[in-house]
Amino acid sequence: MTGLMAYVGARLEVVDPLGIIHVSELVKDFRRPKRIKGALGGLRTLVTRESVIKRAVDGIDFTVDEGEFLGYLGPNGAGKSTTIKMMTGILQPTSGKIEVAGIVPWRERQRNALNIGVVFGQKSQLWWDLPLRESLQIIGKLYAIDPARHRANVDWFVELLDLDPFFDTPVRQLSLGQRVRGDLAAAMLPEPRILFLDEPTIGLDVVAKERIRGFLSALNREAGTTVVLTTHDLDDVERLCRRIILIDGGKVTYDGDVESLKSRFVQQRRLVVKLAAGVEWRGVGIPGVAESIGDEAVELAFDPAEIQVSELITAVLADHQLTDVAIVEPELENVVHRIYASAGMA
Amino acid sequence: MTTEPRDFGREPAGRLIPWWRSYLVLLGAAWRSQFQYRANLFIMILSGVAWQGVGFAFIWVVVAKFGTIGGWSLSEIAFIYGIRLTAHGLFVVVSGRIFVLDTVIQEGEFDRYLVRPAGALAQLWNRQFYLPHLGDLLSGLVILIAAATEIPADWNVLTVGFLLLAVLSGGMIEGALQVIAASFAFRTMNTRQIRGMMDDIFSNFGGYPITIFPIAIRLILTFVIPLAFVAFFPSAVLTGRSGGLYVPEWLALMSPLAGPLLVLLAREVWRSQLKHYKSSGS
Repeated sequence: MTGLMAYVGARLEVVDPLGIIHVSELVKDFRRPKRIKGALGGLRTLVTRESVIKRAVDGIDFTVDEGEFLGYLGPNGAGKSTTIKMMTGILQPTSGKIEVAGIVPWRERQRNALNIGVVFGQKSQLWWDLPLRESLQIIGKLYAIDPARHRANVDWFVELLDLDPFFDTPVRQLSLGQRVRGDLAAAMLPEPRILFLDEPTIGLDVVAKERIRGFLSALNREAGTTVVLTTHDLDDVERLCRRIILIDGGKVTYDGDVESLKSRFVQQRRLVVKLAAGVEWRGVGIPGVAESIGDEAVELAFDPAEIQVSELITAVLADHQLTDVAIVEPELENVVHRIYASAGMA
Repeated sequence: MTTEPRDFGREPAGRLIPWWRSYLVLLGAAWRSQFQYRANLFIMILSGVAWQGVGFAFIWVVVAKFGTIGGWSLSEIAFIYGIRLTAHGLFVVVSGRIFVLDTVIQEGEFDRYLVRPAGALAQLWNRQFYLPHLGDLLSGLVILIAAATEIPADWNVLTVGFLLLAVLSGGMIEGALQVIAASFAFRTMNTRQIRGMMDDIFSNFGGYPITIFPIAIRLILTFVIPLAFVAFFPSAVLTGRSGGLYVPEWLALMSPLAGPLLVLLAREVWRSQLKHYKSSGS
């Protein structure tokens, strides 16, 4: 009954017309039988019906607009995968609303599957013993894709992902990077409007990562595919995502663009100066600037809201001869580590 | 240089197809996967035939020693055995290795079945086409046809029709019971033992006239694990014994309906249990 009410509620709610994914007050509890320790513990575990409830997702709200490239981040166990699994129809929410391209995923799992592509970096969805070419043919038949459209899409993916060298090799013989490329082609072949990626670049070398990022970027830019990316590789995020949602403990802790995340959590910039041969560091004498003197360079940390960069550089140049000056922007990697650490997660 | 196809991604290119069509597509994929190892093909099928042949030889020796068992001659017992094995063969050929469901769930492979526009069960069944199963079906058919020509039955359109429906229903009974038992794997229960036990009961008791067992076992094999409906009741009907059974005659005559009914029940149980699927942590 409550499920029905929630459904009616979702229909009546005025929603963002651009939104393609709507998540509100989403909760997922996992119930596990309580394990009883001690004598005959196994037997008592079976007999008693007691269970432990763990809340993996604890009231999440967000809307994703069509064409967005979203980074969905958080430490292990934060509830990332659980949210993705609810959006893809794998898991049924305990409560809350979820709508993907107008469909409630768990209620109409198969219809939802037509609108989404899913790639799990560690688990292939291809037919292990068959060549990639045949896997793509099977998918074409399973989704009843028009043959001409199928051919055009396959040609495009072969070109864009450079599948040709291994197109006729059984999937079990492919390298990890080749396999992930094959999985991406398989996921995008039915032209889903939304692509969900769970750690797509995990374990790949730099070249393979670049190729995959290039593909995702082209897909999002040219075809307008909405992408939701879960990853621990923050280079992926910096290169691809315009928006980030950070979650921890099953709750959203940040939702916004990459730049604001950096400025919100790391106010400081660093000015790195290299002194000319024989010049000794004499300090700048501006309050609020933290100096750390290394062998080759001096780093000055400052808050750009308080101190003008030009003012700082002028002060340095007044007393020193330099060979190089650089302003270092905070890296997302450090920012996220800092956020995790401050919340006691890392 | 290939460019992006015009209108790519404007709307999804796929649409839902009927369950039997996706089943056939997936079956084709499973077949082709298996045929990648061509050398294995005949060895695997032969191993299936050999395994079932040994099972039948055992009954043969027992019956040959005593002449009849419970008033049933060797050819009549072979008839029961043939129906049971053919029904089993149909079930396993259609369902592939449903026995791996526990593993498929534990290793997170089940997730990917749920993100495809096809039935989860059809995908599980066609995960792998297991060739020895063809041997089961082949042995069953050979024993059934040989026995059918030997027994004193009156073969006409009606009786042959009844036999065909009974065999189909028999396969459905075994399949439905296995699916019901497997469903509880979604509650993170280990279902391997219970399914193994059911398989043992089917292969150990299924080839004999149920009437040779004490009444308690007979009732269990009729109403708890409805094995009697697979081969024994149809055989009793076709050999003119349905009048003197431990159940009313109409029940034996209805045995071709048992399979479809159990399939409907299994479908409900599977669906209700699938809701409890937790997916493994990634």
